[in-house]
Amino acid sequence: MKKIKDTLRIIGMSFEIELRQNLTDGFVLFGIVIQPLIVAFMALWMLKDKGPDYAIFIVVGSAMTGLWTTLLFNGGNSIRGERWAGTLEPLVGAPSSLRIVVFGKVLANVTQSLLSMIGCYTFISLIMGYPLTLSRPIFFLISILLTVFAFVSFGVIIASLFILIPDFQRLQNTLEFPVYILCGFLFPIALLPGWTTPISYILSPYWAARALHGSARGMLEINHIFISWVLLIIFSAIYIVGSGALYRLVLKRARVDATLNTTG
Amino acid sequence: MFMNAVEISNLKRQFKTTIGVIKRQTKEVIAVDGISFNIQAGELFGLLGPNGAGKTTTIKMLTTLLIPSSGTATIMGLDVVKDAEKIRPRIGFIFGGERGLYWRLSGLDNLRYFATLYYVDSNVAKKKIPELIELVGLKGREKEKVEGYSRGMRQRLHIARALLHDPEVLFLDEPTMGLDPVGAREMRMTIRDLQSAKKTILLTTHYMFEADALCERIAVINKGKIVALNTPEKLKTTVRDLSVVEIEIFGIPPEFLEKVRNLEYVDGVAVETRDQRQILLVHTPKGPSAISDIVEVLNGLRLGKIVTREPTLEDAYVRLVGGQM
Repeated sequence: MKKIKDTLRIIGMSFEIELRQNLTDGFVLFGIVIQPLIVAFMALWMLKDKGPDYAIFIVVGSAMTGLWTTLLFNGGNSIRGERWAGTLEPLVGAPSSLRIVVFGKVLANVTQSLLSMIGCYTFISLIMGYPLTLSRPIFFLISILLTVFAFVSFGVIIASLFILIPDFQRLQNTLEFPVYILCGFLFPIALLPGWTTPISYILSPYWAARALHGSARGMLEINHIFISWVLLIIFSAIYIVGSGALYRLVLKRARVDATLNTTG
Repeated sequence: MFMNAVEISNLKRQFKTTIGVIKRQTKEVIAVDGISFNIQAGELFGLLGPNGAGKTTTIKMLTTLLIPSSGTATIMGLDVVKDAEKIRPRIGFIFGGERGLYWRLSGLDNLRYFATLYYVDSNVAKKKIPELIELVGLKGREKEKVEGYSRGMRQRLHIARALLHDPEVLFLDEPTMGLDPVGAREMRMTIRDLQSAKKTILLTTHYMFEADALCERIAVINKGKIVALNTPEKLKTTVRDLSVVEIEIFGIPPEFLEKVRNLEYVDGVAVETRDQRQILLVHTPKGPSAISDIVEVLNGLRLGKIVTREPTLEDAYVRLVGGQM
């Protein structure tokens, strides 16, 4: 019981610390608020012939791009920032698990990214004048909660790569668009070549996008939404469980290679 | 209670670096080269050495942040590699300088965060954090962002962070580095208080008078090897046969330094900068009678005041590390 309480306390505190630091960072606010609006505007313009009911698809899809961008850049950069600030060593040298600390940090990034969805909804509904209605609001709400879990578990894995490889930020840009596309944030994956489908299936954000789009537009049968939820939970759980061994490995490697600090 | 809080045996650490762009070559650098020493429980032990001697690498291995290439080290009987997770709650560490803090947060928030990471009970932390803030002299400034703190305030915040969980062993890597004289003196008083509280402390410093005043034993490390280990008093006896001639000088070319070094009765030579002046330090058993010969060798250079004095711990250190300052 005490262990669970301590773990929750660490997650809560790293969540608070990350959020407070992010809200003073202009780049972070750009990623959450401005970029999804640009994506939404472009997507609306490109898909205007598809009819007004496509707007909700764009709201959800644009917000998911904001979610992923924030996760990829903030989650990764926060580890890079810790290394440059010299705080990664005190974090690793503390008795608490770095994985739990990272979980709290990523949770903060994902939660604040939900602002993207509110921003996109407001922009498309009030400013662009499109009617936006959620077909299955309760299902949508549950899908949102599970999406947070999916992105956090994925983010914990991504962050470990920044611990292991100090130069990993060079790959950040190349990872941004493939995930948008492979996970079907803005376009159905049916438009992609068949060989990419298995890759989409093992990415938990794909199942999150499917559940969100499906519940927002009502284009998925209820049993298909359930299947998306189950697979989303299974893949996220695999990431979380696998991250335990991954962090042990990554931290051992970092202590051998002396990559916890920029000064070695 | 362990007799030895820290035990190090043949500890070695190598780093791989790459050189070249097209033809990349891997080079191995030995930072710590088979050192061995013990620190008794409750002892304040000094580790002295020039830049790049291996002091910080040693501390990082002992604080579980680096894995040794070979050899063993234990803290309170626990192995730094196998038992890292058990060691971490029992040690505290600070690395010199201003890094290692969250600048966009207040000092108070930095302490709250690390108290949580060290599993300090929230009720205990509520009482302990204000006490530590007072101890390190940050009372009244704790709610300000760290980015607005002076260097000394950040150093003191580091100390408070390291003491949050009341560790048994403390590793202080150059805690007075960059502090003004008043700040450095306050820091030394804090270290003395920690010593009185029976903490085991490993301190590294560049300041010999600091090591002399604080440490019960000192190990001098140079090029990754321990070149001397004793009490400050015993280390001083290694230069008892010598006198130190100090010559104020306004620029000295390397060839002149070499000429002085080559004088038959000169044991060691070093150049020290004090304020805007350079001081040539010549270790010699001849005492004042060596001055005329040294001045003759320096003919053509502008010299100032010349004095002869008894050797200090710093002179013993200079002799041990081969004239590097």
